[in-house]
Amino acid sequence: MSTTLAGGRAARRQTMRRIRPRRSPAVPLLLAVWAGAAAVLWLWWHNTPSVADDTGRILNAGRITGLLAGYLMALVVLQMARVPALERRVGSDRVSRWHAMSGRYTLCLIVAHVFLTMWGYARQAGKSLNDIVQQTIDSINQLPDVGKAAIGTGLFVLIGLTSIGPVRRRMPYDTWYHVHLLTYAAVFLTYWHQLTTGNDFAVQPMAKTFWYGLYGTVTALVLWYRVLTPIRLNLKHRMRVEAVIEETPGIVSVLIGGRKLHRMGAEAGQFFRWRFLAPGMRFSSHPYSLSAAPRPDMLRITVKAIGDHSERLRELTPGTRVWAEGPYGAMTAQRRSRGKVLLVAGGVGITPMRALFETLPGAAGDITLLYRANTTQDLALWDELAKIADERGARLMYAVNSPEGERPDISAESLERKIPDIERHDVFMCGPAGFAQSVYEALRGAGVPARRIHHESFEM
Amino acid sequence: MRKSHPVRRVVLATAATVSGVVLLLSLKPSSDPTAAAAGTAPQQAAGARQSPQGATRPAGAAGGTVTGDATQTQYGTVQVRLTVAGGKIAKAEAVQAPKGGLSDQKTAMAVPKLNQEAVAAQSAQIDAVSGATYTSNGYKKSLQSALDRMKSAAAPAPSASSPAASGARSGSGAAQARSVTVTGKVAQTQYGPVQVRITMSGGRITQASAVQAPKGGLSDQKTAMAVPKLNQEAVAAGTAHIDTVSGATYTSTGYRQSLQSALDQAGG
Repeated sequence: MSTTLAGGRAARRQTMRRIRPRRSPAVPLLLAVWAGAAAVLWLWWHNTPSVADDTGRILNAGRITGLLAGYLMALVVLQMARVPALERRVGSDRVSRWHAMSGRYTLCLIVAHVFLTMWGYARQAGKSLNDIVQQTIDSINQLPDVGKAAIGTGLFVLIGLTSIGPVRRRMPYDTWYHVHLLTYAAVFLTYWHQLTTGNDFAVQPMAKTFWYGLYGTVTALVLWYRVLTPIRLNLKHRMRVEAVIEETPGIVSVLIGGRKLHRMGAEAGQFFRWRFLAPGMRFSSHPYSLSAAPRPDMLRITVKAIGDHSERLRELTPGTRVWAEGPYGAMTAQRRSRGKVLLVAGGVGITPMRALFETLPGAAGDITLLYRANTTQDLALWDELAKIADERGARLMYAVNSPEGERPDISAESLERKIPDIERHDVFMCGPAGFAQSVYEALRGAGVPARRIHHESFEM
Repeated sequence: MRKSHPVRRVVLATAATVSGVVLLLSLKPSSDPTAAAAGTAPQQAAGARQSPQGATRPAGAAGGTVTGDATQTQYGTVQVRLTVAGGKIAKAEAVQAPKGGLSDQKTAMAVPKLNQEAVAAQSAQIDAVSGATYTSNGYKKSLQSALDRMKSAAAPAPSASSPAASGARSGSGAAQARSVTVTGKVAQTQYGPVQVRITMSGGRITQASAVQAPKGGLSDQKTAMAVPKLNQEAVAAGTAHIDTVSGATYTSTGYRQSLQSALDQAGG
């Protein structure tokens, strides 16, 4: 059984919109981050008249790494605060890659800071590097707030270990997620020693104010966007499962009803993090893209049953309450420039493409969808795609394996043959990593500039 | 979507961070440039061996030097040293003054003026240098304590046989004729500088005091607790081999270092 969810008037109106490309704010944001780092280094520079000997060098290296770690720690948390400018404009995928990258770097800085500082103190007390453990214990006992900071550092190391690729893959998602939530505790525990033992904050009231401001802002943003905003959203829209429909073997659509759903501000191509309040599912949320433009009374997600969570989606009963956070994601119409658009979907990656196919602004002949699946039976949502193509005058192509199991040819040449003016297209892409990589290379080979290939990837 | 090179990125990040930190550290001078800029003698001078007469009779007719308390200001420590001759201030200088950034300029501007004013006024009633209010106030406090010391050293020691040491409050009473006051080098600790001054008489330590010790917050308590004990120990031991006061390891270690350097100076 399959569904056909027609977008109706709202979707049709969207196709007539003017195309307004918007720049990603990534560059100004990165500049601000570097400026902040420079300010932190300046703080050290300003407060340090001289560095006398090796002990002084070690201690000051410890101070520099500590200051930078304290600064970056706030940013690492900020990246996961679900701030709309980051999630919807820069893109959730890119921000979470930043988060992973800066998180690893910060952890390295923390470890370096602890090691250098303890080594420096040991030297100062006339002891050698071998006494560093004893020195650490002494410092924990004697210095204000350093005990707390040690616990926090332990948590950071634990969080870092559970996030190493192979460890994380072997671990249930929920466990990893809940360990990761300890970050907030770790940041809180390590915060205080920065102010009480940090040289730069002791002598510079301005620096202290700046630090309070930085951490205060991040805390406020986390509370606002991770706690209050979702509560408000869900109280207002009160979503429940309406129906679960099997589209093709292994792919299900979940229809979600609620109040005034078109007022959530979701656009085609975006996703929500969904939490279904059913036994065994309520403790973790998962990102699934909307597979149709939002309607006032109905949202739809389409999911391939690959993990524990998506497997259970089949058994959802109508009426189950739904807790959603979003909308997130920047792969929307605002990414495109003025011109034609090629949508490329691999397997269940069709979901955001299906919604974009319906709503992207463009005249007849401007929009093309290329849909790759293993067999024609796996082409989920095909009927409604055909209908949209018909109504909009859009092109719809599919590529499946031959009956012998041979993969279809998606190369620069075949793409150019099928779409002669391909280099003038914006390309939106969604699919498994390997597929996306090979299509990306084919597109580049066919002359599509990299900045016009839009792809969301949640591979770290 | 670009190819990522995790290994290259890790190597780059590590190299950039390490070289950045090393560069920053190597750009910093190894000795304090502001000590000279402020028109003061470098700190080691404070530890230089002082002439026996000068030290034993600081406020007397022959003259000597008196160092005031180190005063904390918002921008740093101020400490004044007076050279006394004939019961009058012959010279005033700041052995410590705020450093770093803007403070360097202010110190360079204010300290010479304050030194002149102190000599001219012969009291701590001097005008603040405008634009350097905190430094001026700190200077005045330290100057006042130096003047107090100068007077108290003069008052209970009318006879030449009781050579009370500068900076030390509790006189050990009877002492030999030749006693020497020596100030050790400043030992930096995690919590702040420690500097010890001892009075040597007949090859023995008759008095020990800390002219500088960690200050602020918890450090005040620790200093108040540890320093008197350390002073006693130093006098009792006559060497720098003294026990650490528990709960004040760093201060004790710094104290020992400064004490050792004072002993070295007195001995050599």
